Amino acid sequence: MHLAWVSSAEAQHFVDVANKVTESIKSQGPLKADELQMQLSAAEMTVNEEAVRWLVGKEITITSKGDVYGRKWDVNRYEAFLDSALEKVYHKNLICLAIKADFTSVREISKKTGLILQRVSYLLADLEKTNMVEFMGMQDSKPVFAVI
Amino acid sequence: MADYEPKIVAFLCNWCAYAGADLAGVSRLQYPSNLRTIRVMCSGRIDPSFIIKAFQEGCDGVLVSG
Repeated sequence: MHLAWVSSAEAQHFVDVANKVTESIKSQGPLKADELQMQLSAAEMTVNEEAVRWLVGKEITITSKGDVYGRKWDVNRYEAFLDSALEKVYHKNLICLAIKADFTSVREISKKTGLILQRVSYLLADLEKTNMVEFMGMQDSKPVFAVI
Repeated sequence: MADYEPKIVAFLCNWCAYAGADLAGVSRLQYPSNLRTIRVMCSGRIDPSFIIKAFQEGCDGVLVSG
């Protein structure tokens, strides 16, 4: 993904950017979207999530004018906070999608999503508290979960 | 991998990069034909979900230019 600033008078600059981007994407090879379907869906759910959109939308106000308590946040601190919030929502969405795809135990979810076991069980507890995931009982002495 | 042609979705701002691309065309400057241009009235209009949607629809890269 590339972001570039080109003025309307800078035709040559546009050509340079177009060449550079095409070269860089060529060297990375094709994107296998069908293999990344779960990750892309989780990312889509994350960017459309209400709390995430609030956090992004409020960034300028909170870092330049301050929050409702009059505290002005440091940009780096705010971004770090935003990053960890985004990551958490993204991981939760991944877990929900994995459960929907019938990977219902902690170990299976961890294998499917590539997240470590501790992270999965920590986030599952969070998802249970917010009524997004339900504990369905034990199966072969493993706890299994379902998405509500 | 060097000879494959990637599909790149380019979101171009009407006032900046789109006009730049137009001028590049008028001045007969060569640039790769891999870009699929989508003109937007401002690069601020781009929602992150557009970019993810582009990847889901099978493009290999996204360029946002303002």
